[in-house]
Amino acid sequence: MIYFDHSATTPIHPEVSERMHEINQDHFANPSSVYKSGRKAKSLIEHARFQIAESIGAKSNQVCFCSGGTEANNQVLWTLVNQKDKHIIISAIEHPAISKVLERLKPFGVKASLVPVNRQGVLNTSILLDLIRDDTGLISIMLANNEIGVIQPIQKIIKQINKYNILFHTDAVQAIGKISVDVCDLGIDYMSLSAHKFYGPKGVGALFVKNRAEFDSFIVGGDQENGLRGGTENIAGIVGMGLAAELAVKNQEKCAMQLKSLEKHFLLKIRQSYPLVKHNTTNNIPGLISISFPGHKSDILMAKLDRANFAVSNGSACNTGNIKPSKVLKAIGLNDEINLSTLRISFGKDNTIEEVDELIKTLDNILN
Amino acid sequence: MSGGVDSAVAASILVEQGYNVEAIFMKNWDEKDKEFCTAAEDYKDALQVCDKLNIPLRSIDLIEEYWEKVFKIFLDECKAGRTPNPDILCNKEIKFKAFLEHAKELGADQIATGHYAMTSDKDGDFELKRGKDNNKDQSYFLCRLNQYQLSKSVFPIGELNKNLVREKAKKLGFMNYNKKDSTGICFIGERNFKNFLKKFFSIQPGEIVNKNGQAIGQHQGLMYYTYGQRQGLGIGGGYSSQEAPWYVSDKIIDENKLVVVQGQTNSDLYHTRLTASNVNWISGVPPQESQNITAKIRYRSNDTSCQINYRSNDILIDFEQPQFAIAPGQSIVFYDQNVCLGGGFIETRGN
Repeated sequence: MIYFDHSATTPIHPEVSERMHEINQDHFANPSSVYKSGRKAKSLIEHARFQIAESIGAKSNQVCFCSGGTEANNQVLWTLVNQKDKHIIISAIEHPAISKVLERLKPFGVKASLVPVNRQGVLNTSILLDLIRDDTGLISIMLANNEIGVIQPIQKIIKQINKYNILFHTDAVQAIGKISVDVCDLGIDYMSLSAHKFYGPKGVGALFVKNRAEFDSFIVGGDQENGLRGGTENIAGIVGMGLAAELAVKNQEKCAMQLKSLEKHFLLKIRQSYPLVKHNTTNNIPGLISISFPGHKSDILMAKLDRANFAVSNGSACNTGNIKPSKVLKAIGLNDEINLSTLRISFGKDNTIEEVDELIKTLDNILN
Repeated sequence: MSGGVDSAVAASILVEQGYNVEAIFMKNWDEKDKEFCTAAEDYKDALQVCDKLNIPLRSIDLIEEYWEKVFKIFLDECKAGRTPNPDILCNKEIKFKAFLEHAKELGADQIATGHYAMTSDKDGDFELKRGKDNNKDQSYFLCRLNQYQLSKSVFPIGELNKNLVREKAKKLGFMNYNKKDSTGICFIGERNFKNFLKKFFSIQPGEIVNKNGQAIGQHQGLMYYTYGQRQGLGIGGGYSSQEAPWYVSDKIIDENKLVVVQGQTNSDLYHTRLTASNVNWISGVPPQESQNITAKIRYRSNDTSCQINYRSNDILIDFEQPQFAIAPGQSIVFYDQNVCLGGGFIETRGN
């Protein structure tokens, strides 16, 4: 199989996998235990925390491990329930792990406003500013979108809203390892991360919390994660995530360059093969291409690519089995027909030009 | 591939026979309707089966088509006090039309389903035949198919017994080998049909009357009852001198009245004659009036000898034996021995 769906998930880095295997074999003790093996387990977690912190320009005590991006988002959004200011502003193209959570929070008095995006998917900052109210307690804007890859100008937005003193969260799940991410430069208060999007394991993620004094646990239980997240730690997963983050950030520039060249190559070739294509993104994270094939249905294209052993997506991977126009593509102004003719192709660090050529050849057969 | 045992085994047979098989999971109902729809569970079962067979599983969303071409008509028929059969319409309009077209678009030569029925090809004339398992035969539901649809369809389990199908599923390691058969509208599953209908109709109470027009109870809306229905009437035996249970014998639509009679042998529940409209003849050629044919007036009944008479707008059918609880809206389906000839919609009944 040729895998072009790295925005859905990535294969685990062999070094990470090996390290996790070791951990599972040798370090099973509960990190809360005070004897030698327990202390060792705890220290492994703290090292991983340090690795994550280093990767995003944070301090170790600002990193809280959890089960993934979805939980990290939930952790942040649920804080609204106990706040005086229950109004939140989000973009129109947030992941369901933001938008659906807010539906759930409605009965608790949480009110959400949506900021539209332009045809490139970039958020309209002046509308965002207009939406700010006295009771706005949080703004949550994803750093990079999972379907079209667009990168939001978070730093610029934050500079304009600084005077309002509103907490700012960003879902950076798609960004790590693709673009350089520094929490201080960005100026954010919270950031969600997910290990399996950067060649780490599934089931583990982290939340950056700038000021933990203002934060309370979402999963309530033991005092793990300094009381921010109950539950015995997933040691192997956490260690795997730490190592994966370190590797991803170390290789980020090189990887980004390679992904961009694959992207460029693909776009050049596909336009020659099927000039009607519509490329839906600019200013996207390297390697993520949202592309529409007017006159073709994406589910049929997907089936035919699947038969030829290619893994690509339509819409986002979470919606398998449900063939509905994508909300994100709707938000950037695509009509239903174009919407339902759209594929998401996301390259990864191990993809080659030859593999991309294979895809072009197969698409050429299908389309023409 | 519905997630049920029949389509799963149908696929396995084709795989064994060396066909290039792909499975498609069809979504006809909005799954947000959690109370009644089991699509998510069914999808998982289908996925497990496909994994065992090492064939791809794809999805098709026919929610809109199903609503427009099947469910709306179903609701209209209910509203008119008739007894519609949505599965027959679903086969004609969805499975063997929209779904077939989609499969062709995907490059398929033919589609297969887990129906208990058989086809045969006589020099390009396709016949629909009963499934071997008498108890499971589903040719009734396929009565509105045409030659083209049959030519593109195979029914791999038509020659098998249900028991054998389940056994085979178990042997192959399908998790759904013991899954209950779907009944009624397939996506409602085992849930309460009346509660489901209540989502679409307001309660329209009226009188339950006996043969003499005396009110003896209240009904909640004529659409919630069908001809021959015994349970759920809310009137016990013993109202009059006879102790026999009550049965729905008629609906007086204009007056919103439900007519009931006592005892299963009551002659008001039986008719020997009916008219049917919109008859589909699978071969494309109507049979001779003199031909010896049989017909059944609902899925769960045996077919019996009848005589057909073509009239300008409908067909008049006379049965040798009186038929219990003929329900307007239901399909009457005709057979010549084991060959299903086609079917039409019951309009009126009489003697």
